Amino acid sequence: MHRTEDVLATLSMVRQHKLDVRTVTMGIDLAPCASPDAAVLCDRIRERLIRYAGRLREVCREVEGRYGIPIVNRRIAVSPIGRVAAGLKTEGLLAVARTLDAVAAEVGVDLVGGFTALVQKGSTEADRQLIAALPEVLSTTQRVCSSVNVGTTAAGINMDAVAALGHILKDTAERTKDHDGFGCAKLVIFGNAPNDNPFMAGAFHGTGETDCVINIGVSGPGVVKAAVEDLVALAPTKPSLGDIAEEIKSTAFRVTRVGELIGREVAARLGVAFGIVDLSLAPTPQVGDSVGEILQAMGVVRIGAPGSTAALAMLNDAVKKGGSFASSSVGGLSGAFVAVSEDAALARAVEAGDLTLAKLEAMTSVCSVGLDMIAVPGDTDAETLSAIIADEVAIGVINHKTTAVRVIPVPGKAAGDLAVFGGLFGEMRILPIHAAGGSTDFVRHGGRIPAPLSSLRN
Amino acid sequence: MISVTAADRVGIVYSVTGALLDLGGNVLELSQTVMRGYFTIILEAGFAEPKSVEEITEAIRDRGKRFDLRVVVIEVENGRSEPLVAQGERFILTVLGDDSPGIVHNIAGSLAAHGVNIIDLHARVDGTRFSLVMEALIPHDMTPGSIRAELERYGRAHNLEAFVTHENIFAATTEPSPVRLGAPLSPRSQGESLASH
Repeated sequence: MHRTEDVLATLSMVRQHKLDVRTVTMGIDLAPCASPDAAVLCDRIRERLIRYAGRLREVCREVEGRYGIPIVNRRIAVSPIGRVAAGLKTEGLLAVARTLDAVAAEVGVDLVGGFTALVQKGSTEADRQLIAALPEVLSTTQRVCSSVNVGTTAAGINMDAVAALGHILKDTAERTKDHDGFGCAKLVIFGNAPNDNPFMAGAFHGTGETDCVINIGVSGPGVVKAAVEDLVALAPTKPSLGDIAEEIKSTAFRVTRVGELIGREVAARLGVAFGIVDLSLAPTPQVGDSVGEILQAMGVVRIGAPGSTAALAMLNDAVKKGGSFASSSVGGLSGAFVAVSEDAALARAVEAGDLTLAKLEAMTSVCSVGLDMIAVPGDTDAETLSAIIADEVAIGVINHKTTAVRVIPVPGKAAGDLAVFGGLFGEMRILPIHAAGGSTDFVRHGGRIPAPLSSLRN
Repeated sequence: MISVTAADRVGIVYSVTGALLDLGGNVLELSQTVMRGYFTIILEAGFAEPKSVEEITEAIRDRGKRFDLRVVVIEVENGRSEPLVAQGERFILTVLGDDSPGIVHNIAGSLAAHGVNIIDLHARVDGTRFSLVMEALIPHDMTPGSIRAELERYGRAHNLEAFVTHENIFAATTEPSPVRLGAPLSPRSQGESLASH
C-alpha cells in the first residue's frame, strides 16, 4: 500500500498545481523522402508523416484516459528541411511548408517544427533558399515552425547568417503586422541547437536520431512554485536556500518521472522508440504557471532585481539534478524557460520596469533557453536585431550551452506599447533597446566569429 | 487464517507468533496495523501436524492472556485459497472532503456493482475532514474513466473530491526504480475518457 502522504502529494501536483505533460513531440526522419521534384517530395513527406503520426492523437487520448495526466500539446518535429529539400527553389520550399502545415492539421498536431537550416559554419545554397523563404512561410502557414542554428562551440558563429536573419525578422514581422508581428514567434535562432528538443518553435529531428521517436516536454512551473511556497510557509524556521534547492530537486524528480511514464507508454503503443524527457520548466500565461512566480516564491519579489540571476541559476540547477536522477533519458533543452510574453510574472516585471533586456540577457547565461518571446519596438533596425542575436548566441557558444533568440519587432508599436500574441504565446509590454543602432558596423563586417578556445577556462 | 484484535500494547506480535511456534506453526503471510489505539493482525499460518481451530484459538489466547485478545481462526481447505474475484489493473482511488455517515458504504457499493475489487483501504476522519485511499483492481473490460465518472458524480452530491489514478503514477513519483508501464487496456477503453483533472 502506498503511504497516504505520498498519494496526496502526487495527487496535489495534478489537481492543484497544474501538473501536465506540456508536449508529446514525435520526431520523424524525412531523409528517405528526398527528391529533386517538389511534388514527389511533398507526396513522400505526406505519406511518411501520416504513417508515423496518424495514430498520435488517438494514442495520446488513450494514455491521458489511463493515467489521468493531461497531455496539453501534440507536435511533430521533422528533419531539417534545409537538407531534405536541398535543390528546391522558393516555390518548392513553399510547397513543402504547405504540405507540413496541412498534414499537421490532418493528424491533429498544433505545431510542426523542422523548417530548419543548420548554418553554424556556413550556408549551402539550399540553406540560403530556405532562409529567404521564411517570411513567406511564417506568414502564410499556421502550424509550421522554423529554426536556424547560427553558431556552435565547435564552429563559432556564422555572422553572415546572423546578419541575414535580422532582415528576415523585419520582413516576417511586417508581413504579420496585423497580429503584432506574430510570424517571428515561430522562428527560433539558436546557438548549439539540440537535436532532440521537443519544445516549439525550435524542435527539429536532428542527425543521429532514429526513424521515429517520441520526446516529452514536461511542464511543472506551477508544481515547483507550490512546493517552494509550501516549504517557505510551513517550515518551522525560515528554510535555507539549500533547503529550497532540495525541495525543487525532489519535485523535479516527480515531474520527470510522470513525463517518462507517459512518454514510454505513448511510444510503446505506437511501436516507436522513446527518446528523451526534456525537463524544461515551460511557463504559460496562466497565473500560477510561471517561472517568474517561482523566483518570487524564493524571495525575489521584483524579478529583475539583483539576485534574480542567482535565484534562476539555483532553480535551473536543482531542476536538472532532480530530473537527471529521475531518468536516464533526459535531453533537449532541460532548463527553466524565461519566455517573457508567455510568463505572466515576467511580463508584469517588464511592465513595472524591473526587468530589462540587459538583465534578461544576463539571466539567460544561467538557464535555458535564451531571449525568448521578447517584443521590441517595430522600428528597430535589422542590424540591431542581428546584434541581439549575436550577443545571445555568443553566450551559448562560449559557455558550451544552448541559447536562442525569439524576438519580435512589433510593427507600428514603440517601447511600452502592448504586444498581444494570444493563446499560449501571451502578451507583454514592448521592451526598449538601449543604444539601438550602435553596432551596425560590427554586424556588417559579416564572416564568422571563430570557434572559442576550450582551454584556459576562467 | 487467523485474526487477532486488542487494545494496542507492546509485545502482542511476539505473543501471537510465539503461540503459533509452540504449536509447530509457520507464518505464511502477515499484515498488522494499529488504528486509533487498537491493534489488528491478520495472518495465514501452516502447521506440520493438523491442529484444530479450538486448539489454535486457545493457545493464542492463553499465551496472550494479559492482552485480552479477540481471536478468530478460520480453517482454509486444501491449502491456499484461490481468488474468487475478478482480477484487473491496480488503481489508487482517493476520496477527500466533508465527512458524513455512509461514505465508505456507498463508495464500496458502487465499486462492487462494477466488479471492482478493493484490496487495500485506509480511511479516516480528522475533525470533519474525511479522507480515503484505497487500492482496487479495476476489471480489464472496464475503463478507469467510467469509475472516475461514477465516483465524481457521488462526490459532487456529497461535497467530496474523488480521484482514480493508475498505480504506476504513484510508483513512478515515489520509487527510484525504473518506471513501469501498465498492460494494454481493452479495446473498449481506448480513447473513451479524458482526465477531468
